[in-house]
Amino acid sequence: MHDAGAGRVARRKLANKTVTYSDAEPSAFASMLGGLIEANIGNSPAKKKDFDSLGARVGVFVTDIDEGVTLDFKKGTLVVHNGLEPKRDITIRAEADTVMNLSNLRIGAFGMPVYYDATGRGVAAKLLQGKLRIDGLLGNLATLNSVTRIFSVQ
Amino acid sequence: MTVKAFSTEWAGQFKDEVNKSSVYKQAAKGWKWTVGLVVEAEPDKNFPEAKGVVMDLFDGSARDIKVGTAADAQKCDFVITAPYSRWKQVATKELDATKGMLQGKLKLKGDLPTIVRYTKASQEMTECTTRVPVEWPDES
Repeated sequence: MHDAGAGRVARRKLANKTVTYSDAEPSAFASMLGGLIEANIGNSPAKKKDFDSLGARVGVFVTDIDEGVTLDFKKGTLVVHNGLEPKRDITIRAEADTVMNLSNLRIGAFGMPVYYDATGRGVAAKLLQGKLRIDGLLGNLATLNSVTRIFSVQ
Repeated sequence: MTVKAFSTEWAGQFKDEVNKSSVYKQAAKGWKWTVGLVVEAEPDKNFPEAKGVVMDLFDGSARDIKVGTAADAQKCDFVITAPYSRWKQVATKELDATKGMLQGKLKLKGDLPTIVRYTKASQEMTECTTRVPVEWPDES
């Protein structure tokens, strides 16, 4: 009886976890992105709403450290994988600075990322220079905007 | 003037560099938390005891930067921990601090959205450390 009770408590705790990691030892990058998203959705009901409705597999690859993660959004939960997993809807490839700048994009009217301030122009310039690549953008623009909103710390 | 790494004199020059930086002043507007840098010991690099750098930063300026124990630094709102040789790599521009954090070479403790919001300020702060001429214990 004692063991059965303990099992129920353990399962409940697991079920309540919003962000989990598929690897026993998440990479520093995986922990950082997972931690950032967890904090963002905890701080903002609007981001939580986006998070709860987002179902997509998003890869983020940092080209200058040769490391990536896959964020598997499952409408209210997120599983973070070390490395790029198959069947991704979108994959963002950029240098570390640009990835950090993506998190600093302001969100403007109608929940659209702002590309006309200094940070936004910097991100747009990287896109035009090919230093920020977004694979799978076609047909997934709404997903990209949701992910940008969830990432944004602004 | 060249100063010994992580000494009181180094802290003073580092503080002066931060307060001279217009980039930092602009990028760190609104910052109101303390930052601790834990420099872990590496006896084989002639750095036998861990040290802590405690930075009292407020709204674009450094009110105080002092060197104490690792425990002092660990009490700060944000704590970045790395061995001595990693910090040396950061201060000599061999390692970019942002990349170092993403790779886990520098371990960060503190509110992630806040630190990400101030990425530019932390990058400029790293730049300030590179402007202090340093005598490294493993080179003396």
